[in-house]
Amino acid sequence: MPRHIKIGLIAMGIGLAVAMGFFVNIVGRVQSMMKNDREIEENPFKAPQPLYAPTDPPVAVKLFFPAASGEPLLTAEDEKIFKSGELANRAKQILQKLQEGPHSESMFPSLPKDTKVQDLFISEQGIAFINFSNTVALNHPGGVLNELATVYSIVDSLTYNLPEIKEVKILIGGVEKETLAGHCLLLLPLSMDLSLTNVVPREEKTASLR
Amino acid sequence: MGLPYTDSVALETLTIRSGSNQLVVTKNSALISYNGQIILLPSPIVREDNRWLAPVEFLTTGLSRMTPIEFRYRSGTSRLFVGNIEAPELEMNAQTLGPITRLTLRSAIPINVGVKREDPTKAILSLNVSPLDPARERIDHRDRLLHSVVFDDSDGDSKIVLDITREVSDLRITPADNNRIFFVDLLRKGEPVTAAPATEAPATTAAKPDSVAPDRRVRVVVIDPGHGGMDSGAKTSAGIEKDLTLALARRLRTVLQMRLGTTVLLTRDADIALDNEARSAVANNNQANLFISLHIGYSGNKMESTSSIFIMKEGFGETVSQTSAGNQLFLPWYLGYRTHRQGSAAAATMLQEELIKQISGWKFAIRTAPLAVLGSATMPSLLFEIGNLNNNVNAQTLADNGFQARLVNTMVDAIQRFSESPQAAAN
Ligand SMILES: [Zn+2]
Repeated sequence: MPRHIKIGLIAMGIGLAVAMGFFVNIVGRVQSMMKNDREIEENPFKAPQPLYAPTDPPVAVKLFFPAASGEPLLTAEDEKIFKSGELANRAKQILQKLQEGPHSESMFPSLPKDTKVQDLFISEQGIAFINFSNTVALNHPGGVLNELATVYSIVDSLTYNLPEIKEVKILIGGVEKETLAGHCLLLLPLSMDLSLTNVVPREEKTASLR
Repeated sequence: MGLPYTDSVALETLTIRSGSNQLVVTKNSALISYNGQIILLPSPIVREDNRWLAPVEFLTTGLSRMTPIEFRYRSGTSRLFVGNIEAPELEMNAQTLGPITRLTLRSAIPINVGVKREDPTKAILSLNVSPLDPARERIDHRDRLLHSVVFDDSDGDSKIVLDITREVSDLRITPADNNRIFFVDLLRKGEPVTAAPATEAPATTAAKPDSVAPDRRVRVVVIDPGHGGMDSGAKTSAGIEKDLTLALARRLRTVLQMRLGTTVLLTRDADIALDNEARSAVANNNQANLFISLHIGYSGNKMESTSSIFIMKEGFGETVSQTSAGNQLFLPWYLGYRTHRQGSAAAATMLQEELIKQISGWKFAIRTAPLAVLGSATMPSLLFEIGNLNNNVNAQTLADNGFQARLVNTMVDAIQRFSESPQAAAN
């Protein structure tokens, strides 16, 4: 083989190797970019935004759970949340406590098994829109009084402790539903009803202290 | 009609006189003058080829003032009754009730209704009374089974023509209220419709009350067996809510018919799903004097055995209607309950009193709640939630024939008391 052809072939080989390397590198770079994108997407799920800062002071709240005795329908359990600047984060902490259930033996959990809060938004008019996962309806055992206990455990726990929240609108699986278990109307936002509980409204309490 | 008139081409007016009264009509104007008083018609009167053409309201609002002849016209129909004709009113309503479609006919007088399937997409209901005065001549009802309902008496016989789909396998007619109400149920092919047990009297043959109250004000009662179809309601190994509510509703119907001679309608008489609005619509469309929704309770506490009589929560939806619907002429649907809240409270109290007196060992509380099925009901209405399906003793008692009979008789005692009370008269 003439020498110049040999040199030519070697040069082509080197070029090809460089080109291949470059190509492989690009593929790798693209792959790593895509991986980065996926990580960014997944990030908020892996490390959710904290609902309060370490410096936020604790604040006492009353959580309403179904009373085992049945009368009144709901009884209050004293708990603590942290006073985060964001109202929505305080509301989320209260819902988290409801999901955990009561500590007292004389009360029952109010939210069905595997209920998740998917979104929470508070409007300027003070209406808290809460989007629960479908499980809140699917796993609900039914009964009018029992459904009322679930709904007002949510409504009263939020409106009693966070006066900025005037009304609560429950959404299920991202959509508006007529009812949760067939009885209690959810098409309109609901306001606090302490007549179902053993707690007196705040105004009455201050009035009697005077 | 023999009334003197002056047709003035120059003034483009027509003046009709009767005694000292004078009616003036002007060409191309919707305003007519009766003794100087101006009346507005829905469209102008025109003059064409020496003829005056007026909207039909000219007769009922204008000419009727000049003659003793009675004109009766209902807008939206093509029927005008001239003179003193006895034409009983006929109302037609269609609604989708889960898998079936129900056409409800209400006549002012007892009538007979026959049905003939002309072809797969057309059925004719023949009515034995003519003339009739239909409130609407045509209903366009879009659902899987029914497309339109048209009243027709062009050949002198009263008929209702139903434009139906091939999916309709059967049309079932159930008379009620001594042949003044007819339910025409359109059933679908292969739809499992569990008929009422043969031992229970159908609505027509049950009018043999053994004690008719002297002043019976509750004529029509609508009973709503809670849940149905895909929606079982509360469910444990001891029982299923939807089956218990249907069994109790059928029993209550029989006893109400036998003892009080009441017209009783069930929102469902089969294992079908209905939404809450359709349930209260059955009560509203049939002008029920009392609406009772039946449910079985469930408590996480297996020892609990509370029953509750619910009425609609006072003030529910009022703030919303003030802000967003403040200047609406009509009540929003969810405020229908307000029309009879007092009657509902009275009925609930009487039911609670009778239950406490006659069913020992059980607790009966009156409660208020924002309940979907009660929101739009425009008559005294309540929801009765019985027992706790999670309590084994309760569940066994609820399934017991003797207990069901006792419970239903107690409910009828309460309905009888309510029927004789002044609160029932308010409807
Ligand atoms: Zn129920």
